[in-house]
Amino acid sequence: MLEIEGLHVAVSGKEILKGLSLSIAAGEVHAIMGPNGSGKSTLSYVLAGREGYEIISGSIRYRGEDLAAMAPEERAAKGVFLAMQYPVEIPGVTTMNFLKTALNAQRRARGEKDIDALGVLRLVREKAKALHISEEMLKRALNVGFSGGEKKRLEILQMALFEPALAILDETDSGLDIDALKVVADGVNGLRSSERAMLVITHYQRLLNHIVPDRVHVLYGGRIIKEGGKELAHELEAKGYAEIIREAA
Amino acid sequence: MSALPNRRVEDWKYTDLRNAIEGEAVASAPVARWSVTLSGTVEQNELPEIMARGTHGEMGTVAAAHAKSGIFLHVGKGEQGTVHLELSNAGHGRALIVVEEGASLTLRETMSVGDFSNIAIEIVAGPNAQLHHIREANADGESVRVSDYSIRIAQGATYRAHFADFGAKLSRTELHIALEGEGAEVHLSGVSVLGDGGHADVTTRVTHSAGNAQSTQLFKLIAGGKSRGVYQGKVSVAEGANGSDSRQTAKGLLLGERAEIDLKPELEILADDVKCAHGAAIGDLDPESLFYLRSRGVAEPEARALLMRAFLEDAVAEITDEDIRAEVWSHVEAALAELTA
Amino acid sequence: MAALETREQVAALGEKYKYGFVTDIEMERAPKGLSEDTVRFISAKKGEPEWMLEWRLGAYRRWRQMREPTWARVHYDPIDYENAYYYAAPKSAADGPKSLDEIDPKLIETYNKLGIPLNEQMLLAGVAVDAVFDSVSVATTFKEKLSEAGVIFCPISEAIRDYPELVKKYLGSVVPVTDNFFATLNSAVFSDGSFVYVPKGVRCPMELSTYFRINAQGTGQFERTLIIADEGSYVSYLEGCTAPKRDENQLHAAVVELVALEGAEIKYSTVQNWYPGDEEGKGGIYNFVTKRGDCRGARSKISWTQVETGSAITWKYPSCLLRGDDSVGEFYSIAIANHFQQADTGTKMHHLGKNTRSRIISKGISAGQAQNTYRGLVSVHPRAANARNYTQCDSLLIGGKCGAHTVPYIESRNKSARIEHEATTSKIAEDQLFYCLQRGIPQEEAVALIVNGFCREVLQQLPMEFAVEAQKLVGISLEGSVG
Repeated sequence: MLEIEGLHVAVSGKEILKGLSLSIAAGEVHAIMGPNGSGKSTLSYVLAGREGYEIISGSIRYRGEDLAAMAPEERAAKGVFLAMQYPVEIPGVTTMNFLKTALNAQRRARGEKDIDALGVLRLVREKAKALHISEEMLKRALNVGFSGGEKKRLEILQMALFEPALAILDETDSGLDIDALKVVADGVNGLRSSERAMLVITHYQRLLNHIVPDRVHVLYGGRIIKEGGKELAHELEAKGYAEIIREAA
Repeated sequence: MSALPNRRVEDWKYTDLRNAIEGEAVASAPVARWSVTLSGTVEQNELPEIMARGTHGEMGTVAAAHAKSGIFLHVGKGEQGTVHLELSNAGHGRALIVVEEGASLTLRETMSVGDFSNIAIEIVAGPNAQLHHIREANADGESVRVSDYSIRIAQGATYRAHFADFGAKLSRTELHIALEGEGAEVHLSGVSVLGDGGHADVTTRVTHSAGNAQSTQLFKLIAGGKSRGVYQGKVSVAEGANGSDSRQTAKGLLLGERAEIDLKPELEILADDVKCAHGAAIGDLDPESLFYLRSRGVAEPEARALLMRAFLEDAVAEITDEDIRAEVWSHVEAALAELTA
Repeated sequence: MAALETREQVAALGEKYKYGFVTDIEMERAPKGLSEDTVRFISAKKGEPEWMLEWRLGAYRRWRQMREPTWARVHYDPIDYENAYYYAAPKSAADGPKSLDEIDPKLIETYNKLGIPLNEQMLLAGVAVDAVFDSVSVATTFKEKLSEAGVIFCPISEAIRDYPELVKKYLGSVVPVTDNFFATLNSAVFSDGSFVYVPKGVRCPMELSTYFRINAQGTGQFERTLIIADEGSYVSYLEGCTAPKRDENQLHAAVVELVALEGAEIKYSTVQNWYPGDEEGKGGIYNFVTKRGDCRGARSKISWTQVETGSAITWKYPSCLLRGDDSVGEFYSIAIANHFQQADTGTKMHHLGKNTRSRIISKGISAGQAQNTYRGLVSVHPRAANARNYTQCDSLLIGGKCGAHTVPYIESRNKSARIEHEATTSKIAEDQLFYCLQRGIPQEEAVALIVNGFCREVLQQLPMEFAVEAQKLVGISLEGSVG
């Protein structure tokens, strides 16, 4: 599904990712763990195609295509979804309108027909329930005045609605209390499937108790310095980043 | 000279100089003098000749034309000093103050004369220089005073200024400030506390010529009796001056039955990567706050005085020099006492 | 949902200004240039009484002594007032249409292109339309239904003939003949416009609507609208404008006067989409308009809502004179300037009576190389005890070559008054744009979506059918603004 090879990325002239390689197959859930400043968010943004993240060398292949050559909205239409660490507020645009606009834009880009307002409403309602998202919340402006938990739940709702092939979850656990974390994790687990790959980016092991990964990668200094199974997350939790980094050096 | 600035001139809409003084009196006014107190490493010289530099308004240009001499203050690279300028003879005056790279200066201005004064001051702050400027204009219902400042701020330099005005027959303070280098900062604040018959107009023009510079303005006006408080603040961001950050707040408290407050906060933005905001408000003391205080046993006059002090507090707090702040605050207190008496 | 429609709209149109067609109709014109004879010609064409001619001539003589104002932040080559036509009328309409059937089918076609349903659908929509084509009113629908309610809605030329006392009493009473250069010019040469009178206690049974269109070449349009809401009445009035694409600049100098008597309410909505000129700034309408409402009676209310997307130059300040105690003035505005458009628009709220309240919400969007200025006055008179104003004024910049300017004047002379003003200027947020893109929304659609969100407070003020049109216009006007 996703093949990253020798990826070097710079932000305002400063190299952040320094030769990152990673491969994820369909049906797999991979976790990327790393301390602050290791390049986690840079990785998620470069996969989604944010401006200002310059690829110096290396390649990103997504389903055999060159991902870097695609515009952000093209990636989205082709099934790349990034659940953001800080979902953005857009005043005056109701959540429901946004969901409909985005869903139909993706469908159109794939040559599919629009779903009318009623159809979208039905679809959203069905998925919103499990995530404890109320009708009232859908009527409010996108993310405006939402609590941290509400914002993250809305990200997962979008993931459920768009049914991406590759979902990247950037620090989805940050700012969540344990109950909210459980709701979000259940939502994510419900979307695990043999056709879908997931990349879970996190600082803490906590989230990985709920979303159990197939592989864990430790990111430090812009490179993967250690890889392993789900037990690596526990090892990290026990030893701390400093020791793992020392061992890897 | 041509006609004096008057309300038909956009920039002088709220301050009619033609109504306050005869053109003849302006033309025949003498050259102003200061008594100067220096400490630290500040050099003082006569301004050898009129040097037309900087951007002045109409009256600043008139001052420059009439004042055949003036003072020149200089703080050398990396040096420090303080200056107290006390205006001791009214008339047309001119001063040039240069603070070189990395130097710092605390400049204080007061006045002990009335009549007609028209002062043009040019300030140049070199790279990373620090300038703290406090001007106080005492209450004087007879005098007509105009001050026109042209201020250029180089990269990394900070100009912090406070203008306390207690009202004159006509009082106009005009600032033309250019942020000329990246990282330059200007922080302006002021209070006008006006009793019966007083007038004070503070007009600021801040131009972000370079990017990533910052400007803030915080002005508070109290107008009692039959007085008029004016604040006009224009912030311009030049094309390409990206990363400009500007905030401006102007608030007026109208206490007199025949008082007037006029605010004109203006934005002129020619670059897109900017953050600019202004807020302005005019009103009376908040009745709820007043009631709250009275319900806690504070008598009304005291409660009013308390709220007025609270209204002015954040603007005076912008003065970082503790001694000067205390002194300005004591003058503010005296003016408030007069207002509420 | 707006954004979706916008995209479809844009795709379907394949051109930027869908109203840019010219209708080929035989025109009757006044001789070129402006003189007393031109004024007499117009007055005679309209079959006006002597008093009206004198009123016009008085305005004309005054105008000759006036100078064009220069204080607005707009720049244009001097207008040659002698090189324009001041009257143009479709020839076949010279005798005045009696009903829709008598109207030139080409005109009907024009209105269909404009998307104005000038037929039975209108009845369902509950809208009565007075359409001003170049200089004359061509159709006023649903006169009967309105007259049952006692509402007069007709071309102003007709009102001058049929209701001279009302016209004499109110015409020029809000915008005096001598008010300003463009208003005075209008007073001399206005050729038509709408007249509305809503009698005491009547709630106008339908939305009233006028569609203005400049069609003829080299012609100025000078319409005059007068709306009187008598005691305790209510009326909602909609105004739309379009013009063909032409290389030349055409002048539009309209005057709108509103009078709200005791307890009356007038809601006036405008979607202004005059031709803005092309991407190089060639052509387009000069829109110099004087609009003023007089809350003459106690507890009256006047609300202006405008969506300004068109015109090469806009110079317009719909204002309220809050004379009656407890009267209310509102101004809701969206002004979009793209390419080389220049807009200088805002409002004036004059608080004269006690307990008067006003609210100003202005959303300015600048793109391309456009200059967009909000200019507003809030003035509290010494008599206006307990006056209240709230102003929110936001500007959005798209691209580094445009300008956004805010020039508010806040003047208070009453200690019990309270005025609050907030303004912000920023660019369209990169993180919002990226968020939309990441969710698969293409750039132009994302911009339209975000800008519509930014304008929502104002769009909500518009009657439903106008709101949909306005949302589409927001998207279309900003086309090509992001690279």
